Amino acid sequence: MLNGLGNLRTLSLVGLFGVLGFSSAFANEPPASEEPGSVSVRLYQFEGSLPSEDPNSSQWDSVPSSEFNLAPQVHWPPRIQEVTVKSVKVKGVHNGQEMAILVEYADPTEDAADAAALEFMVGDNPAHFAHGQEMLQVEGGPVNIWYWKNESGKAVDMSAKGFKTLETQPHQDIQAKGVWENGIWKVVFSRLLKTEDDQDVQVEEGEWKNVAFAFWDGAVVDGLVKEKGGQKAVSTWWYIRAEPSADNSIFGWVILGLVLATAFELVIVRKLRKGQAV
Amino acid sequence: MKGPIISGAIILAGMFIFLKFLLPLVTAPLPASLIYLYLALVLSGILIYGTMSASSLEAMMGPVFRFLSGKGQTGASQMARLAVLVMFPLLVGWQTYSRLVPSDLPPAENRTIHPAPPGEFVGLANPYPKTPENIMMGKGLYAAYCSPCHGANYDGKGPAAPGFNPPPANFSDPGTIAQLQEAYLFWRIKKGGVGLPVEGMPWKSAMPRWEEELPEEFIWKIIMGEYDGAHQTPRTWEEEE
Repeated sequence: MLNGLGNLRTLSLVGLFGVLGFSSAFANEPPASEEPGSVSVRLYQFEGSLPSEDPNSSQWDSVPSSEFNLAPQVHWPPRIQEVTVKSVKVKGVHNGQEMAILVEYADPTEDAADAAALEFMVGDNPAHFAHGQEMLQVEGGPVNIWYWKNESGKAVDMSAKGFKTLETQPHQDIQAKGVWENGIWKVVFSRLLKTEDDQDVQVEEGEWKNVAFAFWDGAVVDGLVKEKGGQKAVSTWWYIRAEPSADNSIFGWVILGLVLATAFELVIVRKLRKGQAV
Repeated sequence: MKGPIISGAIILAGMFIFLKFLLPLVTAPLPASLIYLYLALVLSGILIYGTMSASSLEAMMGPVFRFLSGKGQTGASQMARLAVLVMFPLLVGWQTYSRLVPSDLPPAENRTIHPAPPGEFVGLANPYPKTPENIMMGKGLYAAYCSPCHGANYDGKGPAAPGFNPPPANFSDPGTIAQLQEAYLFWRIKKGGVGLPVEGMPWKSAMPRWEEELPEEFIWKIIMGEYDGAHQTPRTWEEEE
C-alpha cells in the first residue's frame, strides 16, 4: 500500500520526470523557413591578424560564405529595371578587435566607376534599408554606409537618415581593397569592431545587427555610366553577427545539472528502498 | 499490476497519433505547442484517475516504485533500471546545455503581413466604375509600375522579386488581395512600405510610396486591373456581415 504524503511527493517527482521527457521532445523545434539562400553573415573568429588587405588571401579559403540575391533598385526614383550584379557572396571574420568583410560578385568588365557598399543600422531604432528614409508610423534611426569605388581605390565612411542626407563622416574609420579578376570583383572592407564614433555601427560579439548591400556596374554605355547614384543593385536587410567567444561557464551549469539530478535520484531510490513511499 | 501504466501509455500514444496525424486530415495541422498542451492535459487526467483511491494508486504507481527501488531485480529488469537511472541525469544535462548554448539562428521575426490600416483608409470605396476601359488602363499602369516586382502574371515573380526580403505579394494567391478590401490596397499602394505600422516592419519593405508619383485616380485603376488580372475579387462589407 502507498502512504499519504510520501506518495504524493514521489508521485510529483515521477510526474516531473515525465514532463521533462515530454518537453525535451517538443522544445527544440526548428524554425519554419521557406526562404531560399542565406539569411545572415557570420563573422568567424580568427586568431591573430585578419586578411584585411588581401581579398585573394588563402586565409579566406577556409571561411564559409553566405549568398544573397540582389534586385534592381526600384524603390524610389531614379529607378533601374536591369542591373549587372545579380547576387553576392559574403564572408566575414573578426579577431575580437577588428573585423573584415569580403564581398564577391560577378561583373564582366572592370570599370573606373564600379562600386560596392555595405549598409548597417546604427543605434536602437530600426532604419529603413533605403538610406534610413523616413517611415510614417515608426521613428526610424540612421544608417552607416561603407562605400568603396574602384577609381578612388579606397572606402568612405558615410551616414544617412533619409533621402538626400547622405554625407561623408568627419571621422573616417574604414578601409577597403578591391581586386577584379576574370569577371569577378572581390572587395574586402575592414574596421575595428567598435569605434568612438557614434555615427558608426558598433559590433558587439554575439549581437545580431542588420546589414544590406549595394553594387554599381560603372561600365560606360553610349557615353553614359550604366549604374550610378540610385541606379544600382540592392538588397534589403539581412542579419550579421560577430561569432562570440566560447562560453565555458555553460559546462559548469551542465555539470551542476548532472550532479543535482543524480543526487535527486539517490534520495528517491533510498526512500523507496527504506519503504517510506511504497 | 502493470495494467494502468500500459493503458495510460496507450491512451497518450493514441492521443498523439490522433492530434498529429489524423486531425490534419480534416483541418489545419495543430502547432506542436498545442499538441504538447493537450498531451499534458491527458497525462494529468491519467494521473488524477490513477490516484483516486489508494488501491488505484497502488495499481498504477506500485510497479514504478518497485522498479526504481530495484528490490529483488535480476537480469534484464536490473539493466533497464540502471539505464533509467543513468539516462535521467544525462537528460537533465542535455536539457541544460541546449537551453544555454548560444543560438546561431538570427532573431525570429513575427512580421504581420496584413496589419490594420489607419482609420482614414477604412471603408473607402473605389470611386471609378469598373468599365472595360478603366480596367484596361489599370492593367497598363500595373504593367508599367508594379510588374517589375509583382510580376506580369500577378504572381509576385517579377524580374526584381528574387532580391527582396520580404518578397513582393503574390496577388493570384487567395490569401492576399482576395482577403482584402479595395480600400486596404489603396492604403498600401499610396503609402507604400514606409506607411506600415511597426508590426509590419516597414524598414524592410521595398514597396514604393506611390502617392509621391501617381495621382489617386491611377491608384484606384491599378487596383481594378490587379483584381481583374489576378482573377480575384475584393472582399466587401456584405461578406463580413
